[in-house]
Parts: sequence; C-alpha cells; structure tokens
Amino acid sequence: MGKIESSCIIDDDPIAIYGIKKSMKEIDFCDTVIIYKNGQDAIDGLNTMVEDGIKLPSIILLDLNMPIMDGWEFLDDFLKIPNCNTKQVTIYIISSSIDPRDIIKAKDYSLVSNYILKPIKSVDLVKLLSDI
Amino acid sequence: MMLDTLTRTISIEEAPIAIASLDLNLCFINCSRPWEQEFVTTDKVIVGKSFFDVVPNSPQLFRKVLENSFSLKDNIVEEQRHIMPDGSSQWYRWNIKTWKQSENEIGGLIITNTNITKEKRVKELLIAAENIAQMGGWDLDMITNTIHWSRTTKEIHEVPQDYIPCLETGINFYKEGEHRDSITKLIHNAVTHGEAWDTELLIITAKGRELWVRAQGMPEFINGKCVRLYGIFQDIDRKKKEEIKNTQIKERLNLATEVANIGIWEYNVHEDKLEWNDQMFPLFGVNRKEFKGDFNSWKATVHPEDIDRCLKEFDLALSGIEDFKTQFRIIHPDGTVKHIKANAGLFKDNDGKIIKMVGTNWDITKLVNTQLKLDKNEESFKGSFKSSAVGMALVAKDGTWMDVNDSLCFSLGYSKTELLNLNFQDITHPEDLNDDLEHLQILLEGKGNTYQLEKRYFHKNGQIVYVVLTVTAVKDIEGNLSHFISQVMDISAKIEAQKKSEEFLELAKNQNKSLLNFAHIVSHNLRSHSANLSMLSNYLVVEEGINEKKEIEAMIMDASESLDETVMHLNEVVQITTEAKGQLQDVNLNKIVKSVEKNIRALLHQKNVECDISIDQSITVKGIHAYLDSVLLNLFTNSIKYSSLHRTPKISIDATKVGKDIILNFKDNGLGINLERHGKKLFGMYKTFHKHEDAKGIGLFITKNQIEAMNGKIEVESAVDQGTLFRITFVAA
Repeated sequence: MGKIESSCIIDDDPIAIYGIKKSMKEIDFCDTVIIYKNGQDAIDGLNTMVEDGIKLPSIILLDLNMPIMDGWEFLDDFLKIPNCNTKQVTIYIISSSIDPRDIIKAKDYSLVSNYILKPIKSVDLVKLLSDI
Repeated sequence: MMLDTLTRTISIEEAPIAIASLDLNLCFINCSRPWEQEFVTTDKVIVGKSFFDVVPNSPQLFRKVLENSFSLKDNIVEEQRHIMPDGSSQWYRWNIKTWKQSENEIGGLIITNTNITKEKRVKELLIAAENIAQMGGWDLDMITNTIHWSRTTKEIHEVPQDYIPCLETGINFYKEGEHRDSITKLIHNAVTHGEAWDTELLIITAKGRELWVRAQGMPEFINGKCVRLYGIFQDIDRKKKEEIKNTQIKERLNLATEVANIGIWEYNVHEDKLEWNDQMFPLFGVNRKEFKGDFNSWKATVHPEDIDRCLKEFDLALSGIEDFKTQFRIIHPDGTVKHIKANAGLFKDNDGKIIKMVGTNWDITKLVNTQLKLDKNEESFKGSFKSSAVGMALVAKDGTWMDVNDSLCFSLGYSKTELLNLNFQDITHPEDLNDDLEHLQILLEGKGNTYQLEKRYFHKNGQIVYVVLTVTAVKDIEGNLSHFISQVMDISAKIEAQKKSEEFLELAKNQNKSLLNFAHIVSHNLRSHSANLSMLSNYLVVEEGINEKKEIEAMIMDASESLDETVMHLNEVVQITTEAKGQLQDVNLNKIVKSVEKNIRALLHQKNVECDISIDQSITVKGIHAYLDSVLLNLFTNSIKYSSLHRTPKISIDATKVGKDIILNFKDNGLGINLERHGKKLFGMYKTFHKHEDAKGIGLFITKNQIEAMNGKIEVESAVDQGTLFRITFVAA
C-alpha cells in the first residue's frame, strides 16, 4: 500500500466530490486530484492528456448518473481514446444507486475494478489502495 | 319268206310299244297301235304312206340318218326333238334297225319310238336346278373304280369339263388335315358299314382356292357288297363363311356379355316362355335346375316394393307406350339385395304383332351404393353447411357467392339475398384483397387445393370483421376446378379481446416501466441526497474547525433542498400517473397553443424567435388543460433554451388528423439531439444532454408522463445542429 501519484474524480455532485476529496486528504491518497463534472469533460480532458503525453491518473472514480455524458457512456468512449494505455488506469464506479442492475452492468466492463457505494469513506479508499 | 314276213307283220301290229316297219322307200308297211296313237290323227290309213308324211317336222338330220341307215349294220338310237304343228315340241327316242328279206337283201327298216318328252324335261329341270343350286352330282363305280362328276361338280373343283377324276384324286381335293381325314373316314364307313354321309368340308380347288363344300354320299350294296357310291356336291362357301362369321360374332357377343356380366333374356309373350343366358343365373341367384322358364320365374326374384312398378312398366312397354328402361331390386335366396338395371326391346312379326321381348340386365348395386353414399355425403355436407357455427360459402370461380350459410350472414350482417348479390371482393377490406386474390389465383391455376389466411371483411354496418378464411377447391369428375368452399371463422371477438389484452399488456408494460423508472429514481436520485446528507452529518460531528463546519452546514442545506426538490418532482409524476385518467376533456388545440405562445411572448420576443402556428380551428383533442399547458410550455422553453446561436430560432407547429388521432408536430431549428447516443434516455428523469446551466433533466420526463396520461405519445426526430421535431399523438375529441 502506498500513495499514488494522481487520481481522477468524475462526478457532477459537488457535495460528493467534497466528501471524496476530504477522505483522500485524511489518508493521503494521492498527490493530485483531477475533477471532471461529467463524462464528456473527462473524455475531452483525458484525450488532451494522452495527446500531450501526460501520464494518466492511475485511479479514476467514476459516477454513473451525470448530465451530458453519463458514466456508462464514458466507459465506452474511454476505450476509444487513441494511443491510450488503459491498463495503467484502474476505474472504480462510485454511485449512490443501489439498483442491482447497475451493479451487474458494472461487472460487464473489464475496465471497471469495483463498484463502490456512495458515500465514499476513507476506509473505502484505503482498501482501494491496497488492491492496486 | 312271205310267211315269215306275215308273221312279223302281225306281231308288229300287236306290239305294246310304238313300232313300225318301213320298206326300202321308207313307206309304212305296218305299225303298232301305240304308234298309230302317237302319230296318226286324221288319216287312219298309213300303210303305204311315206314316213315323212306321217311323222311331222322330222328334222333334216334325222332324214339323213334314215337314208344312211340301210347301210348300217347296228341299230341306231337317236333322240330327237320334234316341233308339233301347234308349236309345241316333243322329244322322241328313235330306235332304228334294218330287216332282211334274205340273207343279203335288206327289206326295209323297223323303227321303235318312245316319247321321252317328260323324261327329257325332268332332266333339263335337274340341270337347271344343278346350275342354280351350285349342286353337282358324282358317282363312283366300285367295280370299275371309275368316277363320274357332273358338270357343276367339275365347276366347283375348277377343273375343265374333260377332266377325268379317280377316287384318289377326288379325295386329294379335300384340304389336307382334318378335312381329308374326315372324308376318307366317311367313305370308309360307307363302304364297310353302309353308312351314308352328309358333311361340310373344305376343298382346295384346282386353282388353289379354299372352298367350303357340302358333300353328301350314299353307298349302294348288292349281295352285301358295296358296288357304287353316289351323291351330291355343293358349293356352300358363301353361306358357310357367313355362318362362321355369325358364329364368331355370336361368340364375341357371348364373351362380351359374359365379361361385362350382362344378363340377356328373351321372353316369348304368347307362350310365356322365358329364356336366360348363362349370366342371368348368378345375377339373379337362381339355380339353373330350378328355373322354370316362365314370367313368374323372374317375378319371384323382384323385391316386393318394386314389383308393382315393374309390372306396370312391363305393361307399358308391351303396349308400346314406353320403352322398358328401368331399374329394380331383386332379392337373392340368401337375402342380399341387388340393384338391377334393365333395358328391353320388342320383336314384332310382319303384322306388327309382338312376338317377344328381348332385354338385358346388369348388376348396378355397387353403383347404387356409391350413389347412396354420395347422396348421404352430400346431404351431410348440406346439413353441416346449413347448421355450421362456422360461416360457410360456396364460391364460384369468378368470386360470386353461390350459396352462403346462416352463420356467414350473421357474421357479415347481410341477409342471404343481399350476400348472394355481392361477391367476396365487395366486402373484403381493401388491404387484404390482394393477398386473398393471390392465394385464389394459385388455386385457379391448379397449383394448390387449399389455403388459409386471416383477413378482414366489412360488416354491413361498416365495422371490421376479422376472420380466418379457409378456401378449398372443389373439382368436377374430370378434375377441372368447379368452385370453392370457403369456411369463414369469425374471430372478431377474439381479435377484439386480443386487442384489448394487448392494450392492457401495453398499459401494464408502461406502468411497469414507470414503476421501474420510479424505483430507479427513488433508489438513485433520492439516495444520492440521503448519501450526501449522511456523509455531511458525519463530517459535521467530527469537524472542529468553525469555517469547515459552516461550509458543511451550507452543503447540508443544499442537499436537503435538492432532496426536497426531487421529492416534489416525484410527487408531480405520481400525481400525473394517478390522477389524470378519467379527467380528460375536449380541448381546442389551436386555442391552447396560441394561449401558451401568448404567455411566453415576451421571452420569444427577447430571444428573437420566429413562431409559425398553423393548426385548424376545428381540431380538438382529448386532454387535460393544465397538462397541455405544461407540455407546450416545456417544448417552447426547450426550443428557446437549446436554440442555435448561429441562426434565428424558428419554431413551427402544425397538426393533422389521422384517423382517430391528432398528430401535433413541434419543430425547431435548434441544436438538435444526438439520438443515436441519447435517444433511449431522452425522456428519462434527470437526463441532460446539453451543457446548459438550466438543464435539469426533468422537463421531458414530466412532459412524457403528462402526454401518456392523456393516452397520447411523444416521439422525436432530430439531427445535431439542425433541429428537433417532437411529434405528439393525441386522441381526437
């Protein structure tokens, strides 16, 4: 277990982002956090990073229910980013949805490592670090 | 010498035959009484008179014979025809001999005369008969072994008249094999046992022709020994060949009647004699030995129920009123009943009197039974046709109804007479007609026997009748298409029920979907707030920094407001789905669209939106005023909100009536929506697709729910950066 360089949160809910960031700080999760408010912003941002040769964040926390582009669409598009080494990235879905269909669907994506139910607590992040 | 002469003279006069003696001058010396009777009529004295004066019309030839006869040594026999003064003719046989006065001196002639006219005539008659009957004679002398054939016999053998046959050559004319063997045996029998024969055999003539002859022969015995065979010989070729032909024809007829199992009978009316051919006995189940051969023999076989009619018909036939062509039943001794077909004709004599009746009988039991079965089938078909709960019709090749049953009339609402004046095309739903006609064509071309399809008819009252139609081709005896049998099962009730259940299913599906949607909203949207609240409350408890606490408190306020908002939205949706039904009113579409447009005119004006509304004044829909307001307002604000910055926003609204529906088209030229990407969740809750600060993802969700609450539906067509068309279907009022 160790601190990671950078992580990314994709969520439209500012309160949720506040909570995650607060928990990250508590356990010194990473050096930098990149925040995107929806899937489209995240795709655009990550695309630019790949183009600029910047290393992608090793952990992405992805909300499902977002405007413009939701979490599912992001997953589809993320795979399509050219020259992207998706293997460096571990994606966790963070959602308040306790709908079993969402949890089952998440398992269909090989990119998705786990499904974490909101609210995110520091213990969740600790476990997440130990899994890597 | 004188004495001698005298003695003779006396004896001549007394002789019982016609005899006369002449001197050297051919003058009568004397004659017998029969001579006088034959020749002397007027002048009684002939002595001393010339022979030629006494015997009239002596032909020249005879005179010469007489003149020459003095020099002859043997007596002369001459047969001569004499023409009498009255023109009649007589045949005489003359026997002429010289008499001598001394050793070397001839004294004159002695002449006997026999009138052979009768004999001659019989002979002439015989020859004529022989010629006419083609009958010849033959004669075999067993002692000298010489054969005599008459002229005709030779002609039959086609040999020349100078042909001289012998026994062997005669036999060899018979055709080798049974014919020659037969005649040899007959001759043998005649010679050894004295048996006469009369037979018909084939000979091969000298010219090689095959000929049927009748050969008759008789032996003559002297002292137990056959000395002569004689008989007649007749050409019977034509008769025989005809006979053979007749026999063949008869045999053929017999064979035919036997094979065809046709009984032939002949009834002699006057003698009450009935004759049957071989086929009749098994046909009538009558034992030949017990057959009495009278009218009653037949009568006894006839079925009691048919006998009276048969007798009547028989009488009618006998009196010539009607031909005997009938059909009746007979009962065999074992009780089986047979159906007999009978035809008969009358034989009349020259006076037109009926002699007999000849007729044929044959067994048509099988035919009758088949016919009965057929009748029964037809009857049962007719019965089921009439009383069937399924609509049935006989349809002609041109599609006209030949017959329809009550069920069909009931299903279609027409009377039988009305239906028969229509054809099936008249009452078929236009959309289903081609399908039916295509199937029918296949049957008409003989490529199939039956087809089944679901189709729609129009009831007399205009309603659609749903049926399952089964059409079967009926063929005539030659295999040609005659007509069709249509079975029409009315499934309208079923279809209606099915439609209703489909509607229910759709409704249940929709309700299920909204329930699921609702559950999702609850599980997701509400929970996101509760998750935030619980998280923030936890932070608040552990947080010590005042600024931090204030920040968290503010967030808690936001979260609870959001929660409140979500709950309100949900409440709205629940309200829509629970309260709307049953509150539908007639709403004028043009009026309400105009009123909404008026309410937001300021906004439209501000955004410089061009608005084109063309809805017919008469169009009214089933709806709820408040919902329609809300729906239209939402569409207007959406169009304004997502208008393109690059062009003047345009909104055009029109409505058309399609059947029982009103279609409202709401079109703009705004940003459009990527339907490929967002189509599925366009009308979902909290779904937004544009980076717009006001996008909340609730408007279209509410809109959809409201439209559905009014039994309508909303669809969308859109192209990114070109515009969006919302098509809303309402129920027409």
